[in-house]
Amino acid sequence: MIEIKNLEKYFTIKAKFSDRKIVHAVRRASLTIPDGGAVSLIGESGCGKTTIGRMLCGMETPSEGTIIINGQDISKLRRGARARLLQKIQLIHQDPYQALNPTHTIQQMMSATLKKMARQKKKGAEWISQRTNELLKLVGLDPSTILFKYPHMLSGGQKQRVIIARALTVEPEMLVADEVVSMIDVSLRLGILKLLRSLREKFNISILFITHDIASARYLGSNTELYVVYKGMIIEKGLTEQVIRQPHHPYTQALLSAMPILKGIEKPGKDRFVLTSQFRQSEEEQVGCLFADRCPFSQPICSEKRPELISQGNSTDAYACFFPEIRDVAAVSVDH
Amino acid sequence: MTNASSANMENVIEEKNQDMAISARNINVVYSTPTGQIPAVRNVDIDLPKGSITGIIGESGSGKSTLIMAIMNAVTKPGKIESGSVILDGKEDMLKLSTEQQRKIRGKKIGFVFQAAQNSLNPLRRVGQQILDLGRSHDVKDLRALIKYAKELLMRLGLDADRVLASYQHELSGGMRQRVGIMFALVLNADIVFLDESTTALDMLSQASVLEIIRELQKEKKLTIALVSHDIGVIADLSERIEIFYAGEIVEEGKTDDVLANPQHPYTRGLIRAIPKISGDIDSAEPLKGASPDYKTYQQPGCLFYDRCPIRTDECLKKRPDLTHIGKSHKVACFRVGVHD
Repeated sequence: MIEIKNLEKYFTIKAKFSDRKIVHAVRRASLTIPDGGAVSLIGESGCGKTTIGRMLCGMETPSEGTIIINGQDISKLRRGARARLLQKIQLIHQDPYQALNPTHTIQQMMSATLKKMARQKKKGAEWISQRTNELLKLVGLDPSTILFKYPHMLSGGQKQRVIIARALTVEPEMLVADEVVSMIDVSLRLGILKLLRSLREKFNISILFITHDIASARYLGSNTELYVVYKGMIIEKGLTEQVIRQPHHPYTQALLSAMPILKGIEKPGKDRFVLTSQFRQSEEEQVGCLFADRCPFSQPICSEKRPELISQGNSTDAYACFFPEIRDVAAVSVDH
Repeated sequence: MTNASSANMENVIEEKNQDMAISARNINVVYSTPTGQIPAVRNVDIDLPKGSITGIIGESGSGKSTLIMAIMNAVTKPGKIESGSVILDGKEDMLKLSTEQQRKIRGKKIGFVFQAAQNSLNPLRRVGQQILDLGRSHDVKDLRALIKYAKELLMRLGLDADRVLASYQHELSGGMRQRVGIMFALVLNADIVFLDESTTALDMLSQASVLEIIRELQKEKKLTIALVSHDIGVIADLSERIEIFYAGEIVEEGKTDDVLANPQHPYTRGLIRAIPKISGDIDSAEPLKGASPDYKTYQQPGCLFYDRCPIRTDECLKKRPDLTHIGKSHKVACFRVGVHD
């Protein structure tokens, strides 16, 4: 079980020649991922969803807030213990073309990490090759044809599978999948999504799925939660299917409206609207709702006070909006 | 038989009635590689009716971008156009014009926006200067009016025109560059526009707004647009007609809602089943089986989709099916039309 509480992250960046600017990348983000559960983070580029993922993997240090993995606060652990704990969380990158060493064969790559595992488990070379085959088969690759290949000989989808197999060598409890399907051909995306789903179901590996494509978040299996992130703040959360069908926050609705309609198979929801204004990283800190300047339904109070993420009746749903209203924006299937 | 031929006749008449902005016939493009000659585009006939949006879908490497380059006669080495004709407006053949005439047409009559818009902008010159360069190379007399029109277009695209004209490309975000690319394609009043994966690199929201702008401009200026993408969603949303491209050949074409609601080629069916959708049953989605076509696929005499096809027969291995009419404007290249998997 992984708990993130009130996470904050500030980045200091160079604005002009000698000026420094502080970017508030993540704002009081809290989320819980149960064992074998799945959480998707949805948002535009630059909204801070990747930063949340990186902090969870230990690649960034949170400015404030706590990350608790299996009951242990990682900031309070010693270095060695923390490294061992973070080994349980593996990151899968967006770009499969850059995540593999071009001078190593798949076999070299897999055995490099497996050797270390073998030492811990006091197993021999035989175990390593057996495990390599087992993992490659698990991700849907044929070990005999793929082991001696170099990364450039593989297609994008195959590379992504190799990367997942490599992440599995250390027997993780959680995968952070950062835009894993966005660089892969549309026809092959579903294969990767199904793989992630089966890892959840078979091995109880939990998944943090970071994406800007809401549709792919639906394919991670049952009981997945969707968190919508805007400018570093979680503005709506709930069960995936429920958020898609009954979105409360105008930003969630804008994202859902932006999904292209498959003419002939789908028809648009009746309240669909297109947001034309651009995402801006504002210079001054906004006081009011972060989305107020782009929101088509904003009222004067929205730019004066910021709404908090408030849970509704049952525990899973929450949204940060003063004027929540369910709008029917997601496309629905046409019946034949 | 008589039914089929009369249906064919009707189609011939219908096609003649509608003016074609571009009518390409029998296009063949070959790439010479160390492993031999690879036909990237084979025997493709494609029509772009005036004032309509046509979508071309295919996996990466299926030859869809090569086709667009061939239509503009801009295929680069090691590729070569082996045969074919591209008739513009029922008049000149793009493949037979002199290089200077071709250059005049590209940009002025045909606009294009590429996937990586940042690569088509000069990093050393401001956007405004590049518009002037474009105007000069196409002998535009009134450069002041050109800039004015560029500003108007940028405003339409939701950008701060003065700021954009004074910026270098690195000062603009991905979405802004893509919009600038669209402005460049339209500023010389091109009436045919090719959009090659031009929204793929964009975020959901900017993609939606760019698509909306394209839709508006198309209606207003009666543009002829060819939209190339691997994302069936973008194409399905925007285009009236759709061409499904597989391994260098068109395997199915027709009206978008027709093809999507009633796909006939097993590849089209597989593709539609394989896309993550926001609606419908998630368990009915299934990934497309098999691997993308490689050079071996091209060398076999039979149907190119044979390896991955769930309804193949022995006939499919021996002969390659031609694109044939199965409805008013719906064509499929498959021997097993009507057989469901």
